[in-house]
Amino acid sequence: MPAAASAALAGRRVLELADESGVYCGKLLADMGADVVKIERPGGDATRDIPPFLGDRPGEDRSLFFLYMNTSKRGLTLDIAAREGRHLFERLAATADLVVETFAPGTLDGLGLSYRALAKANPGLVLTSITGFGQTGPHRDFKSSDLVAEALAGSMTVTGEAEDPPVALAGSQAHVIASTCAAASSLIALHRSRVSGAGQHVDISALETMTAVTHICGVGKWLDDGIIPRRNGTSLFASVPSGAYRCSDGLVYLTVNRPLHWKALAQWIHETTGNEEVLDPMFEGPSSKRLPYRELLDVFVSDMTSQLSVDHAYREGQRRHIAFTPVSTATAVTRDAHLAARGYFARVEHPVAGPLRMPGAPYRHAATPWRIARPAPRVGEHNAEIYGGELGVSEATLRAYARDGIV
Amino acid sequence: VTAMQEDAGRRTAQALEDLRVVEFTAGMAGPWIGRFMAHCGAEVIKVESRKHPSVVRLYVPPRAPEQGTQPQLSPWFTDWDAGKKFVALDLAHPDAVELAKRLVARADVVVENNSTGVMDKLGLGYEQLRAAKPDLVYFSSCGYGDTGPDRSFVTWGPNIETLSGLSALSGFPQRECTITQYAYPDTISALHGLVAVMCALEHRARSGEGQYVNLSQFEATLAGIGHLMLEPLANGREPRKLANRSLHQAPHGCYRCRGDDRWCAIAVSGEAEWERFCEVLGRPGWARDPRFATLAARLENADALDARVEEWTAGRAAEEVMAELQAAGIAAGVVQNVEDQYERDPQLAARHFFEEIEHLAKGTVVATGIPLGLTGTPGRTGRAGAAMGQDNEFVFGELLGLTPEEIRAYVEAGAIETVESAGP
Repeated sequence: MPAAASAALAGRRVLELADESGVYCGKLLADMGADVVKIERPGGDATRDIPPFLGDRPGEDRSLFFLYMNTSKRGLTLDIAAREGRHLFERLAATADLVVETFAPGTLDGLGLSYRALAKANPGLVLTSITGFGQTGPHRDFKSSDLVAEALAGSMTVTGEAEDPPVALAGSQAHVIASTCAAASSLIALHRSRVSGAGQHVDISALETMTAVTHICGVGKWLDDGIIPRRNGTSLFASVPSGAYRCSDGLVYLTVNRPLHWKALAQWIHETTGNEEVLDPMFEGPSSKRLPYRELLDVFVSDMTSQLSVDHAYREGQRRHIAFTPVSTATAVTRDAHLAARGYFARVEHPVAGPLRMPGAPYRHAATPWRIARPAPRVGEHNAEIYGGELGVSEATLRAYARDGIV
Repeated sequence: VTAMQEDAGRRTAQALEDLRVVEFTAGMAGPWIGRFMAHCGAEVIKVESRKHPSVVRLYVPPRAPEQGTQPQLSPWFTDWDAGKKFVALDLAHPDAVELAKRLVARADVVVENNSTGVMDKLGLGYEQLRAAKPDLVYFSSCGYGDTGPDRSFVTWGPNIETLSGLSALSGFPQRECTITQYAYPDTISALHGLVAVMCALEHRARSGEGQYVNLSQFEATLAGIGHLMLEPLANGREPRKLANRSLHQAPHGCYRCRGDDRWCAIAVSGEAEWERFCEVLGRPGWARDPRFATLAARLENADALDARVEEWTAGRAAEEVMAELQAAGIAAGVVQNVEDQYERDPQLAARHFFEEIEHLAKGTVVATGIPLGLTGTPGRTGRAGAAMGQDNEFVFGELLGLTPEEIRAYVEAGAIETVESAGP
């Protein structure tokens, strides 16, 4: 069946002009079957230089970030600022359903490639712009980065230990979130375009997408309880008990929210440590009932976990329907038996980088499965195929473009 | 032609106005998908049961704990379930399951995030519902996915954060576990879920075929750190813990500013920016100092560099640091808290990011913006999350066409749960 299965986004063409803030958007669409054409500047994009590298040897096809973020895409080089380059882009855009771009606001307008101009030739086109601050507002021209977006979005002030400086999440999550929202929004706009015939400009701001993500301890909570959330270690403010607890050989994480989960935990603590007090009915109910006793309950939990290994706390805790999980390293995750049983990791053969194992499907569609159609493209890998084969540019002209630095 | 077009035929300019969604959800990872779709004009009907309230319904107002549990007042429920319609059914009752199936027969999408197996047991699994609606898109989300040895494990957002490796990868090197206060896996999973649902709808629009989609929150979170996972997968080693630093930019960090817990993030990119940065700080000599003259040297001497940068920031307000650096074209941003965002961020204010919306019990509340940026079909947030069963009459009466007598009979039989009996 998988061989015959179709792809969800088959037939959709996407042009990607994206730096590190937007490449994940293209990956999400490409791995679901869209024909994502990655347009790099002649010589290749700067994202090819993002460390670390495969085997620590730099090279345009060796950035782990680039190799992961560009699966299933085809690759072109093009200088869209040059006159002929702009014309080629216009011809490509006339064949596309979606353009994803991460230039500073106004850049495409300055080249005569605004949404309005592109839509004139292709009314159903969706143009998705991903920036740090959005296309409008007093800060639209400000510079951003993943770290800056996480700071402004309220993520850093609530992450980490109270006595440490604020800290960002690993792996540029503000960019991942902006890209994921951009993919969702682009598909919503394409859904509308199919119904109405009209595309639109999608304006994604990393400040806004990441602020929305921090909502659990965001403005709504503060306006309700008057408490400005700050860094709180590993425990969650509304879940009692919750946090990372020390076992004999590492840390285990525990979250208790529901009354039944508390009862199961209290019983297990009692069985393991002989603690009688933990069974007191005054601790029973939702987390809000236990808020005043957080520190005491942390001691009760630690008394038990310190006698257990991480694996035992995890497996036996889960057998009792209590939300225990290991605090895993990335290395441990690559060896996880559950992921292995699900065949989670994908295999990709790259002509330069060789065979690679990569994280697999973020979701599983029964009829149109996620798949990696091809490895990340090499610089200009599909120039001849697309310019020559699809746009009908002659070999001689293409050679001239290459000589002039247009492709 | 979708179910909503058949039913209503009304024309407003909302991107998903032609869709109806039925939710069997709790917490955030499921409900947030419907929140986005409702914002875009989909009619989203949330089915709840009094015996199994969402954890966010178990809300005791911290300023008035004597009121006890107030299922309608949670600021989370208010927001994640805004714009939806609420029906209450006792799904242990066979008539209630039949009513749920009739609803699904008039819908395009089902979203659920119950533990693996719960929906099948209720008679509301994909195979059971596709009989009622052959081209149904059925989206299901759970911690570990619906197959594999650990598929029934219990998790909450922060559990997935530690399970996926994110909490060991994040934070300062001396810390073993650094997690967010906002259950990040819930949101990253919901956003991937929205992508997944829209992909399935795209396939349906082209082929006429619906399908079952399952999301493992563990795997969706891993997808977002996939580039970091390539270090162990391809290089055979654990990624370096960078905290606020970068492998290819310096200075790159979070610097203490004047005042209590005030900080500014700064990310300097490239040599031209570095030279401008030194000018702004009044230290042009740093650009020629061999310890800082090249990127490699700055990365090598990051501790010394950061200490010097902090000498400059420590005497200034975080807002001044941001303004001065941005004026020179350098990425800088205040480490904002909620008060900063709501009262002092000119960008969020100018873009009307926070929305005031109607709340049946509170009058109005402030909702966080839905950041989809659809300039042609901007969407809007409807009424805040309401009581269980709030819209029974509309949904069962108008939509399913039951008479008041029929509805009363279902209530008396215990299949439909009324808003009155469901509490405030």
